[in-house]
Amino acid sequence: MDAAASRPAVVIDNGTGYTKMGFAGNVEPCFIVPTVVAVNESFSNPSRSSGKSNWLAQHSAGVMADLDFFIGEEALARSRSSNTYNLSYPIRHGQVENWDAMERFWQQCIFNYLRCDPEDHYFLLTESPLTAPESREYTGEIMFETFNIPGLYIAVQPVLALAAGYTTSKCEMTGVVVDVGDGATHVVPVADGYVIGSSIKSIPICGKDVTLFVQQLMRERGEHVPAEDCFEVARKVKEMYCYTCSDIVKEYNKHDREPSKYIKQWKGTKPKTGAPYSCDVGYERFLGPEIFFNPEIYSSDFTTPLPAVIDKCIQSAPIDTRRALYKNIVLSGGSTMFKDFHRRLQRDLKKIVDARVIASDARLGGEVKAQPVEVNVVSHPIQRFAVWFGGSVLASTPEFYAACHTKAEYEEYGASICRTNPVFKGMY
Amino acid sequence: MMLLQSPSRFLLQILTDQVQNIEKGVDLDFHSVEFDDVRYHIQVSTKSPQFVLLSMSLPTPPPETVFFDGLPLGAIEAVKAAFGQLVQIHDPPKDGFNLTMKFNLSKLPPEEDQQHALLVKIASVREVVLGAPLRLILKHLSSRTVAPDVDQLVALVHRPKESFFLVPQADKVTVVFPMRFKDPIDTVLATSFLQEFVEARRTAGLNYAPSCLWSPTPPSELQAASAQELSANAGFVTFVISPRHVEGKKLDRTVWNLSTFHAYVSYHVKCSEGFMHTRMRRRVESLILALDRAKPDMDKSKKSTRIKAFKKLTLGDSRGNSNS
Repeated sequence: MDAAASRPAVVIDNGTGYTKMGFAGNVEPCFIVPTVVAVNESFSNPSRSSGKSNWLAQHSAGVMADLDFFIGEEALARSRSSNTYNLSYPIRHGQVENWDAMERFWQQCIFNYLRCDPEDHYFLLTESPLTAPESREYTGEIMFETFNIPGLYIAVQPVLALAAGYTTSKCEMTGVVVDVGDGATHVVPVADGYVIGSSIKSIPICGKDVTLFVQQLMRERGEHVPAEDCFEVARKVKEMYCYTCSDIVKEYNKHDREPSKYIKQWKGTKPKTGAPYSCDVGYERFLGPEIFFNPEIYSSDFTTPLPAVIDKCIQSAPIDTRRALYKNIVLSGGSTMFKDFHRRLQRDLKKIVDARVIASDARLGGEVKAQPVEVNVVSHPIQRFAVWFGGSVLASTPEFYAACHTKAEYEEYGASICRTNPVFKGMY
Repeated sequence: MMLLQSPSRFLLQILTDQVQNIEKGVDLDFHSVEFDDVRYHIQVSTKSPQFVLLSMSLPTPPPETVFFDGLPLGAIEAVKAAFGQLVQIHDPPKDGFNLTMKFNLSKLPPEEDQQHALLVKIASVREVVLGAPLRLILKHLSSRTVAPDVDQLVALVHRPKESFFLVPQADKVTVVFPMRFKDPIDTVLATSFLQEFVEARRTAGLNYAPSCLWSPTPPSELQAASAQELSANAGFVTFVISPRHVEGKKLDRTVWNLSTFHAYVSYHVKCSEGFMHTRMRRRVESLILALDRAKPDMDKSKKSTRIKAFKKLTLGDSRGNSNS
């Protein structure tokens, strides 16, 4: 075994909203940064520069332009303070869209944040269950060609989220992963560690929609938030104040009765003038997360609530796995962090399941009693980076190094090796 | 980012978090690895949140470099000088590490900017420990003397089982880096990068920079070194550091930049590979565009059914549009 295997593997989970990165064997990622790149575009379109007298200066500036970019919080800060930098979000809806930006993002992750030599470490990256094999190939190409890594494993996010629960309580690799990220929401049934591909359901409501909805509500109420800061404020409000209620009507009453207790204040400074401002945060605190349970308040195109989607997903899975799936519903992703999200989900799902059991009992006329179905929504404190944690657990086992695509294989067969899972090496 | 930063982001983040939430008392146990095989292990326990235990392991030294008790010359003194009251060195260090330090965060100065400066200093512990011998030599240079007990040729470790060389003299220090790369593509890119690097030194704005040279064969200063130490596949880079480069505050920066020169080159090689990929991708896109434009109108006899359906659809569409 080569020297790289003696060092911990690098685990990077690129999400639409945030990227989680760190070394295997730790319980927390070293860094959680927004997946965003700020690129200095002023050099790449020469039409904007005036005159051609100092072309040499322009030329050398253009040469440097490929290093003139920032990622994460720094990128957001830069783009706010000056308009030479343009923000680019390399991942949209869980899929990599801009490979140039993605490559730069990885470059900074490795060299500036983790500060490691990529030649020294195995890498574990993650992908959504619906990623096309082509994009996996692309990932492999960048990792092996640009960074010269010795080995790569591309894991499926929901499986890692299940693996994260694996160590805390029980050895269960069967369950439904409800992954609500910033850019994509998937309900993925996994049986014994294998994704049941045909039953994957994804819904068009995700964390970003909650932010947009909060933004919309605040705007409609006429809160004085500067337009350019609007989205960021809504995001912060979502992350800090939103929670899940058990009943909207009751919650409205509560807010109306005791506004001082429920209405929060948001304070900020205007980015342009620096003047301070403040605004109220009211009903959007519970209405934001409500769009998962009553989507009709947000969009008219999609009206199936999340519990119904989960139920449909389990009903489409093979019949012998269904009970086990109901028993272990795992939450993952930042947008499941709302307070009491799992309680609400469990209650609503239980309602659907119980109704079905009662209906079937009634149909059979009381001759056969169906066994009650256990519905269990699991929530754990590391939910926000459950996928990363699962990756860290997986990559710290000694078997991990044997299950990687190696550089030698890449050089022998090309990027197509990344299409298949290396665990099945030699079986095809 | 042009240069690698000296403070480790990771350590700095943990330390600032710890200082801010000192009364919360969280258990921390983190392992981290940096380039050139420097490893950190940082521990904080709930019982005594003001103590941070930081263990550090250094790259394995090659035979020609001198290590005392697993540490470079003068490292302990350098740590004590840099952190003073704050630090307590454990002897022996933890298993598998070269140095274990205990930082007492309650002894940090109360002023915010001073505190931050000291935390940044702790985060750059790598520079303090690994750069200690280099610092010693450069310090003598700034006073234009040569340390009495120093050899003609000093080898210092900078990567696992690899070292770079110094020739200390009263008025200048010559630093020679044998550059080695594993990957053949990296080697080629690094070679041309270094040649450009030397070329760039000649531009007008850089008159006061240390003079630097690149040669494919070992320079004459290294006659005393053995052949194995001199096997380098990307040539040799020589810097001549004169006293003005190590005056006052410049000393720290010079020490850091010299001791991480290899990592710097390697970083830029990776960046240029990334940049080339960007250009290649743009090229492919433009070629595909050109190909699409050059497609002849569909030959009627060879038309596939799918294309037919597509054509029909567009025809119908256009008719629909004209009707409306």
